[in-house]
Amino acid sequence: MTTFLGYERENGRIGVRNHVLVIPLDDLSNTSAVGVQKLIQGTTVIPHPYGRLQFGPDLDLLFRTLAGFGRNPNVASVVLIGIEPNWTQKVADSIAQTGKRIEAFSIEGHGDLKTIEKASRVARDMVIKASENRRKEFDVSELVVGTKCGESDTTSGLASNPTVGSAYGILEAAGATMLIGETTEVTGAEHLVADRMVTPELRQKFLKMFQDYNTEVTSHGADLLGSQPTQGNIKGGLSTIEEKALGNVQKFGKCKVVDVLEYAEEPRKKGLNYMNTSSAGAEAVTLFAAAGAVLHIFTTGQGNIVGNPIIPVIKTSANPKTVATMGEHIDLDNSGLLRFEYDLNESGRRLFDLVVRTASGRITAAEALGHVEFSPTKLYVSA
Amino acid sequence: MTKKFWVHSAHDSVGVAVEDLSAGEALTGAYMDTGGEVRIQSSAAIPLGHKIALRDVKKGDKVLEYGEVIGAATQDIRAGEHVHTHNVKSLRWG
Repeated sequence: MTTFLGYERENGRIGVRNHVLVIPLDDLSNTSAVGVQKLIQGTTVIPHPYGRLQFGPDLDLLFRTLAGFGRNPNVASVVLIGIEPNWTQKVADSIAQTGKRIEAFSIEGHGDLKTIEKASRVARDMVIKASENRRKEFDVSELVVGTKCGESDTTSGLASNPTVGSAYGILEAAGATMLIGETTEVTGAEHLVADRMVTPELRQKFLKMFQDYNTEVTSHGADLLGSQPTQGNIKGGLSTIEEKALGNVQKFGKCKVVDVLEYAEEPRKKGLNYMNTSSAGAEAVTLFAAAGAVLHIFTTGQGNIVGNPIIPVIKTSANPKTVATMGEHIDLDNSGLLRFEYDLNESGRRLFDLVVRTASGRITAAEALGHVEFSPTKLYVSA
Repeated sequence: MTKKFWVHSAHDSVGVAVEDLSAGEALTGAYMDTGGEVRIQSSAAIPLGHKIALRDVKKGDKVLEYGEVIGAATQDIRAGEHVHTHNVKSLRWG
């Protein structure tokens, strides 16, 4: 049995960080939210450009993303600020279901300055209270982990991604919950992903999700091959989307997929869950965090540098040139696998150990460098 | 001998350089699935992470990596040549 040191929340979920989060509900509230964060040390803020005149599934997804960040077990308590009270209350109610402290403020009728003062007094209490939360020992089965690759090259498919697959196998056997996605980037390997589904119903659900995403991205008439593979992918030796996808799906390892989830939907089952996501790094990490992932494993070939405001993003690369030129972004140098210095089992074990150490409080390169990308997915135009 | 390229599957038509290769090098690589050795002579400089053809591929034929199709050759490719966007193209999204 492997254990880590985490924070137990009111609903029994276990976090690996202890943030007091200031959430702006909409673009107009960013100034107040950032104002609180500047005044009160130890708070984390997630400014974004959305939240006005969105409608339907696009609005639902934004609310689910904002509420998901508040609900995430890495967050101890939440200050939420919106321009008006009604929409603000919808997100506040979702966060309140977790039992954690959430205080909501609206700006209309008060102005920024009074709002900042009221919210800052609450945030002050929250950071002092949160500072007394203590880490306790929990089994790794309590972890919810996401994974994504970015600025991939062929070293991702040869080494980094199979290493995630190996580590995911250890997490699966330990009873943890794992998330995976990148729907466009399984193009050419979708049959291999479909074969991992544990039931025919999930297989159908996945294939429909894949087909719908493909229909959407090809409906604009643009040549996607200018974007996929990316210029960085091509520089690293990846020639086609199929090659990129076949490298990408190495992250599945030998795991079976127990459920198929929509954007930012919280997993219900332990084991590997497939979530519909964009293949853009910050968007996918944001969606996984909104679904409740407390930690992320990110592989890179040419050197993607993404982080997240509330979850640690472990960065690993097997490209020796990237490790040499961008070493400050890399938590785990995996280039030794390409030189036959150790095998895939040992490589997976090393990554799993780093996951446990990071869960217990080790700071990642992205955290040390202040990478806090919060990138909600927008589905279509606003009204 | 140092292995300078890897091959995902015994069915593959390409290997992947794990260090920078010069033109005219006599190379030894390894199959990832069987661990067996494979030898080829490079006919072009191939950067780390880029692909080398392990056998001749005719224009229009499928190129295999991971034992799966990664695209089709847009021109005849000879064993030992650099395989990339100049001579292989996706079969998707077209």
